[in-house]
Parts: sequence; C-alpha cells; structure tokens
Amino acid sequence: MEKLTINKGFKLKIAGRPDAFIKKIPPQKTVAVSALDIPYIRPKLLVQENERVQTGSPIFCDKRDRTIQYVSPATGLIKEIQFGPRRRLLAVIIECEEQDDYLTFDPLSDLNVIETEELISHLKKGGLWQCFRQFPYKDTANSEHRPPMIIVSLDGNDIFSPNPGVLLKNQHDLFEFGLNVLKKFSQNIIVTVRESHSNNLESSQKYVTHLVPDIFPSWDPGVVLYHLKNSFDDNVSWCISVDHLIMMAKFLSTGHYPVEKLVTISKPDELKPHYLIRQGMPIKSFIGTIPKKNLVSTGQFNGRLASIDDYAGFFENTFNVIAVDESEQMFGFVHLGTDKLTMSKTFLSCLTDHDIAVDATLHGEERACINCSYCENICPNDLMPQFIMKALVTDEIEDALQLGLLDCCRCGLCAYACPSKIELSEILTNGIENYYATISKS
Amino acid sequence: MKNALIKLFDTLEPYFTGSGKYKALEPIFDATRTLFLFPSPKTKTSPFIRDHLDLKRYMSFVILALFPVLLFGIYNTGFQSGVAQGQQFGLIQCFLVGAYYVLPIIIVSYGVGFLWEILFAVIRKHKISEGFLVTGLLFPLTLPPTIPLWQVAVGISFGVVIGKEIFGGTGRNLLNPALTARAFVFFSYPISMSGEIWVAANNTIDGFSGATALAITGSGAKDIVQALTDKGFDLPHLFFGLIPGSIGETSAFCCLLGAAFLMITGIANYRIICGGISGLIITSILCFFISEGHDTWAHAGPLYHLCAGGFLLGISFMATDPVSAPGTNPARWIYGVCIGFFTIIIRVVNPAFVEGVMLAILFMNVFAPLLDHMVIQYKTSKRIPNV
Repeated sequence: MEKLTINKGFKLKIAGRPDAFIKKIPPQKTVAVSALDIPYIRPKLLVQENERVQTGSPIFCDKRDRTIQYVSPATGLIKEIQFGPRRRLLAVIIECEEQDDYLTFDPLSDLNVIETEELISHLKKGGLWQCFRQFPYKDTANSEHRPPMIIVSLDGNDIFSPNPGVLLKNQHDLFEFGLNVLKKFSQNIIVTVRESHSNNLESSQKYVTHLVPDIFPSWDPGVVLYHLKNSFDDNVSWCISVDHLIMMAKFLSTGHYPVEKLVTISKPDELKPHYLIRQGMPIKSFIGTIPKKNLVSTGQFNGRLASIDDYAGFFENTFNVIAVDESEQMFGFVHLGTDKLTMSKTFLSCLTDHDIAVDATLHGEERACINCSYCENICPNDLMPQFIMKALVTDEIEDALQLGLLDCCRCGLCAYACPSKIELSEILTNGIENYYATISKS
Repeated sequence: MKNALIKLFDTLEPYFTGSGKYKALEPIFDATRTLFLFPSPKTKTSPFIRDHLDLKRYMSFVILALFPVLLFGIYNTGFQSGVAQGQQFGLIQCFLVGAYYVLPIIIVSYGVGFLWEILFAVIRKHKISEGFLVTGLLFPLTLPPTIPLWQVAVGISFGVVIGKEIFGGTGRNLLNPALTARAFVFFSYPISMSGEIWVAANNTIDGFSGATALAITGSGAKDIVQALTDKGFDLPHLFFGLIPGSIGETSAFCCLLGAAFLMITGIANYRIICGGISGLIITSILCFFISEGHDTWAHAGPLYHLCAGGFLLGISFMATDPVSAPGTNPARWIYGVCIGFFTIIIRVVNPAFVEGVMLAILFMNVFAPLLDHMVIQYKTSKRIPNV
C-alpha cells in the first residue's frame, strides 16, 4: 500500500458526519429514473406513459450512443414523464408493484471464458456500462478504448459520503469479483481509500493500492489521477466508484439488475445513519421533513442543487441538508468569529479544533478578483484558478488549456475559498464543458 | 438596534432602487447598508458552503493593521510640532495638535476619493469596492503634514482616476493607486514634497531643520552614522520614530507591528515582505563594502537603511497590495527582493530622489505581470499536458 502525498485541499472539520450503522427504508409507492444527475447526456426516451416496465428494462438511452441505457429500478407502470424547460427530460416516474419482476440475463461466473466484447455488451444491456467514467471530461467511457489505468475510489464525492467499511460489509467477495472484471479492461487497477476509512475494510484491505490523506478532495479520482500520472497517455484513464463496482459485480453474478443503494445524509443535529434505499427513491422518503429554508445538495462542494421533491440519481449517494441563514449581521465583517468556517486566519475559529456548522450562504458579495491566490493555495491539482478564470472570461481557451484547465477535478474548493465570491468552479466547469462540446462536434 | 436599522434601511430602499427618486445614488445606499448590515445571500450553485472571509473583512484587516501607524503618526506630528516650537508637549497635547494637522488630510483624501469612486460606480452601475478604504488611508500616511489640502485632493483624484478607474476599477489596476497619487504629487509639486517641510508648526525656533534622515550626508572625515547621530537620527529614534518625516513612515516599529499582523493573518503575502527586507539588507551590505566615501548613505549599513525613510511602510502596506503585486509565489519573492534592491540603488546612486521606495514599488508594479508570465510559463512547462 502506497501513501499519496497531497498537501492542498480542505482541511477543516465540519459538522454532519454520518454514523456507521444502517437503516433500511421501506419500499415506496413510486421510484424514478432521474436524468438530472447524468453528465452530458442527451436522453432518448424508450418508453411511454402507462407502459409497464420490468426491473432492469431500459427507460431511456443516450442519443450520442444508443447502446448506453438507463434502466428501471422497479417493476410497474410508468406514471409520469417529467419535462423541464425546453423539454429537457427530468425524470421518468414509475409506480411500483409489490413484487419485482426482473428482466433476467445469463449470470457470468467465470470471467476467464468470456470475451471482453461480450462483457461490454452485457454491461450495456444491463444499464451499468455508464458506471465507467473516462477522464478528462468524466463522460461515459468509450467501450472501444482500453484505459491505461482504472481508478476505484472507495470514498464518494463528498466528505460525508458512505463509509467504505459500511458499504463493503459482507460484500467483500463481490468487491474482489468486481476488481477482476476491471482487469479485463486494464492491468493497472488503482484502489484508493481515505486514511481514516482504511481500518475497517476487513478482507478488502489487501486490494487497496494507495492511501490518501484525510484532506478533501484527495480521494477524488481526478486528484488521484493528477498525482499518479506519468505521461500524456494517462490522461484518458477511467474511474468507477465502489458502489457502482459492487452493483456491476452483483449484476454479473446474479443476472438481475441490483436495485439497492447505500446513501448518507448529512444534516445538523440529528441521528445520521447510512440509509439502505432502492435506486431512484424519492429524496423525501429518506430525508424526511426539513425546515423550508434549508437546501438539499448532493455534495457540499461539488454536488447539484436538489429539491426535496427530486429522486435519488444513479450517480448520487450523498445528500446534504444545509441550513440557510440569510439574515444580515450587524457589522458582520468585524466579528471575532469563534464559530465561523474559514481557511484563512482572519477569524478566531482558526485557533479552535471543533466541528463547525456550515450554512449555504455566500458570506459577502461578489467583487472583482484581487489576485490574492487563496484559490491557488487550496487547489488539490496545483492549478491557478484565478488565471484560468481570466483566460476563460476573455475567451482565451488555448491559454486556459495551457494552464491545465482539463486537470480540474471540479471539486469546487476554489469557489469555496474565494474572498471575492467569484463563481470560479462554475466558470471552470463551463469552460471544460464548452470545450468538450466543441471538440466532440468536430 | 439591529431591527431599527433594518427598518430604517427598508423604508429608505424604495427611494434608491427601481424607479426611486435617488436611483442614481444607489451605490451609496448599498455601500452604507452593507457597512452596517453585512449581507449573506443564499448560494445558488455549487459549492454550497463558502468561506466566511470576504473582501470587506479582508480590507478592514489592512485598516486594522494601519492603526498603530496612524495613531503614532498623529502623535508624532504633534510631538515634532512641539519640538519645532521649542516646547515639550504632553501626550494629549501631541495627539490634539497632531490630529489638527493630520485629520483634515485624511478627511480630504477619503472625501474626494469616495466622490470619484461613487461617480464611477454610478456610471458603471456596479457596487462600490472596498479597495478604496485602504487607498484613502494609505495616501495621507505618505504625505508630509504640511501639505496643502488642495494638493491632497488633486493627488487622490489622480490616484483613483488615472491609477485605478481608467483600467476598470479595483482588481484591474496596474499600479498601486495610493503610490500613484503620491508620485503625482511628488513630481507635480516638488516644493511641497521635499526639503524642510516635514514638520508642521506655526512658528519654528531658529536653527530648526525639518529635513528627514535620508536628506542628511556626512562631510569629509565625518561619516554618515556620525552625521545622523549629531542630527538626532540615532538608531533608537529611527526605529521608534520620533523624527520628522511623512505622517506614517517614521516609526519602523509600528510598521513592523502592522506587517507582522498582516503576515500572521495571511492578508499580506509574507513572501513580498520577507523578500523586500532581505533584498534591502543584502543590497545595503554590498553598498557598504563597495562604497568609497564614508559620508554618504551608501555607507550607512542595513539597519539604518531599514529604519530610515518609508521603506517599511511601503513594503508592508503598498508592495503587498495583491492587485498590483504578482499573483504567483516565486514571482512574489523576486518582486520583493527587487523592491529592496531598487530602494537602495535609488537612495544611494541617485541623490535627487532621496526616497527610493515609492519609485521602486511603482517600477516593480509595472514588471509584476511580466514576472507572473515567466513563472506561469515555467510552471506550465512542468505540467504533464492534458490537451
């Protein structure tokens, strides 16, 4: 086990850590296949309202590659297809029947006899190929491509994502099987885990190749890749999250689409177990009621803004309930601040060591960039977000790429740290996505 | 109290927003409101949690760091005035006399400067940036207490308009606006800015000279240190600052206090300050050994160079202005060292400008983007390319 040295990132302690026990959420009347959390997708619907679907039957595919399908996590009638502005597909809602009627596939037990091509088509039909994400854009992996390495991060996108010890409990065989599946695509399999999560992995611990420090977001595959890559060719590596790997292993060994999902919720001052839910359950069913002003996200730094009426997405396993306190403080800028979250040394809280409560407000107003380098000091991938931002807003995309725009792991820390409250993360993400859109058209 | 304030601002708001009567003055209304009531709007996009540090607090920390310098400057102006009149003022009298000379300069600087800020904010329809809070206080601290107030007004106007606003406002300026203002006054009104003008007093006793330490030279057998000591500029005086000079520059001790505060809180980059001080020390030691005569500032040695003149004020508060300084760490070291180097070179080689630090900082401001460019080129050449 090798230890990766990553020095920069978010080192503060914040409140909301989930507890390490599991609570099962009872079956719900409806589930949905959400399209909100799927990056880059141009969905093509394969079903109509009032059509009956089986568990595992395709709901929509990606127009860019129709073999990539998103499948139903339950059996029942399609109750509603929700569209947003400009007929953007939001979610396909399914009314569940009590008994699951699975679409069955042949289980694969012996990996040695199966061709890689067959494995790929199997995974695509099962609605699991999209678990593989390809750098640098983190789009669905190209199945004709063989990556130089595959990074499996045992930790999720958020500080409080499910603990791998809880997630892998009693599933160590599946994890091993999953890793063997990955060996079909690349010989270089990287398994990383946070230092604080490395001691309760039991028999899976021997598969961990790299230990990363407990600094957010050093366990993000993008950060791991940046710190491991040796050459230009490594840039097109793949990554997969551990819960998706387990799903893949379950699907291949049983022939049924795995519908279970382990999620965590970080919220202030309450019991916070890990929740065992069905894919696509309404967020409301496991978060419960929250104060109206609070905000729900799927990652405090890099998630999407979710609504309490949304459904859990395929790529999401952490939900944060963050308080919003928009009240104006008198002379707020001169407070001593013993409980204020900051990476700077300008509040007394920098001297204390306790967990600090977070809230979802800007703490100031947007101003011009003053070149203070706070974003550079926190960027885990050694980027200079302020210079990249200036290149992007002046449309100098070549300069931005030179400065390493595509190494950005979109962790959101630059915008977190900015005292001028500039939406650096949004600007950089849009820069990457616009560039990707341009090159994939040509 | 707080609720009353909220109520007051809420009742005033319709006049200043939308189709209100005083819509043009919205930036003033907004700046006043946010000064009293700190805004914290909801985050609309990820990351959803944000650091508590914002630009208001950032800039108010610089003001806080300037307080020892400002208070001592007021005290010293009164004290020097007493000395010039042959009297010994008490503590309170020093402050009162000092405030009588200094406060009008600060008020004019802030008043005129804010007028320009508001004018540009109204025309450009943006909010008033906090950057001027620092500029408006720094500029008076670099002036002699005898400066005519209309020159303060002209100077700060030049600094704000030409030094900052024509580039697009805070964050886009090439030069430090406070120093641009001072350089303008320095070259436009040399009579007010050099010679024996450093002490404000109505009637001075015979033989009193209001010159600064940097204007002094030895002669013949008398070396520079001896000449300085004779005139009352021994090292303790230079360090603690009971000497004539511009309002804020005299006390090396207060400047170092402010610098330490800014470096500990991380508001000023320590690389610039440490680089500047080491550049000055190294260059002055070199000059000490290569200078021929013993009677000029070339032979003064590092301690005298450090404590005399405005170097510490400049390197702590003006060179560290993040906008006009470089934005990469190696460039910050080079920038700091070069400021120290040029300060000594200008002081020693060019007796026409006894105070070198202003020109050194402005000169390096111009080179800051070039230094950044070179560092960025080097850094990107070390990256594994991703395109």
